[in-house]
Amino acid sequence: MRTRIKEFRAKHNMTQEDLARKVGVRRETILFLEKGKYNPSLKLAHDVAKALKTSIEDLFIF
Amino acid sequence: MKKTNDKLRLAAMVMISIAVIATGSLFALGSLNEGDVTGAVLGGVIAATIIMFALVVFMRGNSDMKNGFPLRDERSQKVLERASSRAFYVSLYVLLGIGFLSDFITFRDVSQATSVSVGIMAILFAIFWAYYSRREI
Repeated sequence: MRTRIKEFRAKHNMTQEDLARKVGVRRETILFLEKGKYNPSLKLAHDVAKALKTSIEDLFIF
Repeated sequence: MKKTNDKLRLAAMVMISIAVIATGSLFALGSLNEGDVTGAVLGGVIAATIIMFALVVFMRGNSDMKNGFPLRDERSQKVLERASSRAFYVSLYVLLGIGFLSDFITFRDVSQATSVSVGIMAILFAIFWAYYSRREI
């Protein structure tokens, strides 16, 4: 799995910490998500997509 | 997760750590009084390891909470669940192995055998937790 979280995060001028705080997860979770090393739950994927003002399909590439 | 839950969780972790440290220290002192130097050293090492581990966990958790991050989220919960299930599964085989080696390994009493079993499970849990924390999950 690949993600475009880093790209969208940069677009919104957000740090990993900002995104983690907004979504309510730990920093490591965002780090692992960006690396594509964590398969999130549908809820977390939705929350991250919402925080980055995009859709799950655009954010996660399977 | 709610901040109050995190505070309670952190407090519970501290209390459990204190209880385990006290048990380890008492075990070490008891062994020393009986002239069992190996048991005393083992108890001391266990207590010291837990003190260090608890300090790291507490300081990290405290700073995360101050910075607005939750103590636990879905990934850390997943890591915890996987590490504990693997530790339990592997410890069954380790204990079975100790059972087969009963001619070579003898325990002073039931409490020592139980302490060793719990110690093995705790060490396995720490190893699996460290492994899964850095791995794709």
